[in-house]
Amino acid sequence: MNSLIMPPNPRQKLALQSIALVTLGMVFIPVWNVVKNTHLSDVQASSVVRASAPLPSLLSDLYLFLSVSLLAILLAGACAFYLEEWLLQTNWIRRLVEYQVGILSGIPSLLYGLLASIIFLPYSGISKPIEATLSVENMDTSSLNTTAFQGDITLFYAIMLTLVLLVMPRAIKTTQEALRSVPIPIRESAYALGANRSQLLIKHVVPIAFPRVLAGGCRAMSCALAIAALFIGIYIWNRAPLSGHGAGIFALFLGGSLLLSILSGFLNERYPTVSI
Amino acid sequence: MDSQNTPLNYSIETEKLSLWYGDFQALIDVSVKIPDGQITSLIGPSGCGKTTLLRCFNRVNERYGNVTTKGKIEILGKNIYDSDVSLPELRKTVGMVFQRPNPLPISVYENILFGLRIHSPVGHLTRTECDQIVEEALTSVFLWDDLKDRLKVRATSLQLEQQQKLCIARLLPLKPKVILMDEPCSALDAEGTLAVEELMEALAGRYTFLIVTHNMAQARRVSKECIFMFLGELIEHRETQALFQTPQHPKTADYVQMRYG
Repeated sequence: MNSLIMPPNPRQKLALQSIALVTLGMVFIPVWNVVKNTHLSDVQASSVVRASAPLPSLLSDLYLFLSVSLLAILLAGACAFYLEEWLLQTNWIRRLVEYQVGILSGIPSLLYGLLASIIFLPYSGISKPIEATLSVENMDTSSLNTTAFQGDITLFYAIMLTLVLLVMPRAIKTTQEALRSVPIPIRESAYALGANRSQLLIKHVVPIAFPRVLAGGCRAMSCALAIAALFIGIYIWNRAPLSGHGAGIFALFLGGSLLLSILSGFLNERYPTVSI
Repeated sequence: MDSQNTPLNYSIETEKLSLWYGDFQALIDVSVKIPDGQITSLIGPSGCGKTTLLRCFNRVNERYGNVTTKGKIEILGKNIYDSDVSLPELRKTVGMVFQRPNPLPISVYENILFGLRIHSPVGHLTRTECDQIVEEALTSVFLWDDLKDRLKVRATSLQLEQQQKLCIARLLPLKPKVILMDEPCSALDAEGTLAVEELMEALAGRYTFLIVTHNMAQARRVSKECIFMFLGELIEHRETQALFQTPQHPKTADYVQMRYG
């Protein structure tokens, strides 16, 4: 099949790759703006000064964080499906997205985590100097439920963007690989019997590719959970009395992350590529 | 396909058919008439456009993108590039068997019913009808005795020869008029080849067969007419015996006497 597809024109390829880089660069501009305004002392302060924000506020952020990444994975799955099954391999939109996905998914997730922590910690109120906030007895209970992002919407977007940049390329890449692993003869035989695309997808491609799509989603989610665990870990580190509750949540996130990555490995092992 | 009322001598007619993959022209002005109800074989060296021509006839080529087609293909008197042609209907009428047996990874029973199920409304087929259809299809490819106790077995676990016969069997419930075969025996051993050839001969009266083959002995054995193609052009199209014994074009003579290819 591949022999039937013309190799892309090299000049066009270069153009698409540079457009991919430039658009990615533009995505990083708002992130960079936040990073630029962060002084090193803020970051250092966050680890030196005891964090004072209550844990529930942090947690509500983290749950938001997780639901956003879950949505991002679902969106990425749909996106990969569209790219792989609807667009031709030579379509320029598909190639552009694939270049970008290739660049982004190559960045280690720890870098995203560090980037987000530079933005997250000094600005989210977790690590405000202890003098700035009141002691626990005087704290208004309503503030327990407020999110750290309140009043700083650009920061919120910057962090969500980082998260989406972390999760989506991985999910898109693995979903695409899963769909590509469905053997071409299966597609051809269904087409030759007169099936249309949706019948082929519903009856054959999705059932065959599903375990691997799921494995990819698990891996992406595991990355997101690991980053969440990193934040909680830093938070606990900063908090003087190591509260059992915080440690439990940390263990939950870390364990969840480990479990998901093991599950994804298991799914890949259990459902190898179908060959006929 | 509205062709029932006019008696036709030709199942497939092409007129000045040219096809390009991007800039590469794979077919050059091919005009051919395939007679009804017999086996016609397509021979020629690799890359001469045999498979491309075959794939044009049920339009599976179009999935690859950057394919440009010019000219006319009439199947049962209907131009298949007309805008009112529905692809599922066309592929129902023109069945295709591939080089490697490619049964779907479901049971034998479901494989045979797959084509029928996608072409009929949900719940339209009763259980007894299904059983009957499966039995008929398997009987006509001589598989019923082997497989009647193993209908629930995954089709991909059968022997290659059985798989290939199953691939032919699953076309039959759709009542195709034309069956295209792209080197149907290249993955089979001598015995399997013979079995598939016998099957083709048994079915030849009811369906029009067009087979691509690299095996010239096979072309001589099974086909009534033979088409020789070279570098995208149709060189010679005659009765098989005549083509092999008294080839008129020097290129055909070179090829059938094994001077190259």
